[in-house]
Amino acid sequence: MKLLLTGGAIRGLPVVTIAGGEDVAEVRDLIYSPEAGRLLGLTLNKRGFLAGRRREVLPAETIHAIGRDAVMIDDESSLTPPDDAPEDVGAPPSKRDVTGDEVLTEAGTSLGHVRDVVVLVGSNGEVAGYEIETTSGGTGYIPLPAQLAVSGTTLVVPEATKDFVENDLVGLGAAVDDFRAKLGMS
Amino acid sequence: MSERFAAAAGRKVVSRTSAENLGKLAHIVVDVTHRQVELLVVGKGRKALLFAWDDVSGFGPDAVMVSGEDALFEPRDERERAAADGKLDLAGQRALSDLGNDIGPITDIVFDPETGVIETLVLGDREEPATSLLGAGSYAAVIREPAT
Repeated sequence: MKLLLTGGAIRGLPVVTIAGGEDVAEVRDLIYSPEAGRLLGLTLNKRGFLAGRRREVLPAETIHAIGRDAVMIDDESSLTPPDDAPEDVGAPPSKRDVTGDEVLTEAGTSLGHVRDVVVLVGSNGEVAGYEIETTSGGTGYIPLPAQLAVSGTTLVVPEATKDFVENDLVGLGAAVDDFRAKLGMS
Repeated sequence: MSERFAAAAGRKVVSRTSAENLGKLAHIVVDVTHRQVELLVVGKGRKALLFAWDDVSGFGPDAVMVSGEDALFEPRDERERAAADGKLDLAGQRALSDLGNDIGPITDIVFDPETGVIETLVLGDREEPATSLLGAGSYAAVIREPAT
């Protein structure tokens, strides 16, 4: 059983130092690599009412954990100027976004369109699956690693994925391990 | 014997040398790194004064004895002003686990009145050992994620 969070729930979370107990920033957006199936980092806003963008980014390696209520970092040295960050974190390619992509199985069945990524709680950015808008217009959750190919408009996923479309995050949390075991990925 | 912050709050602070009652204990500040009571605050608002744990000659059930009135001092910096205002109190503070989950608030703190060593953090009906405390600041106290 895994605890999961959608990207939408991570945006706006405070970024808190473990040693200092200070909220030094908040999450602006997620930098996601569909190829790697994980977050590469987070972009940041300033904390408080006058929230504006912060220049610094949080590369995934500097994140201690993404939790339900906060993103934890060791200390402020984790806030990395874009020039010092890995290139795909400091200046992420703009066409990285998977939202809106169609999810097709290998046999050619459309499962729907990607609405958000689903991140494993307590990790530093492991993506467990996707929230999709199903072809019937409802909300579904599919596990990852699942896709075989990513084109910028379409994700191709194993046929087995269609047996693992869950109605909620709790269902997905329970299904991820089964799914990965079935694909021999554990 | 252990003592609790919640029970100690409001206890009278008395000078051992002059036997004067100096006011009521208002706040206790913890040195997070050493898990030890560091500073105590007597009185509230503008009249709040601080004294160091090292100047406590006895932390008793009826009074906190300090070595003398000259052990009391006014806040000298930002941190001590925050302490005097109760902003550094661990009790009542939001607790986040190091995995980013809200597990608080911290409702009380158990310490050894002989040494000032923090023993236990009380979070509602749960207790966590003081060794699980990783850090604390204006936003939250950070505690190692409890095993479930």
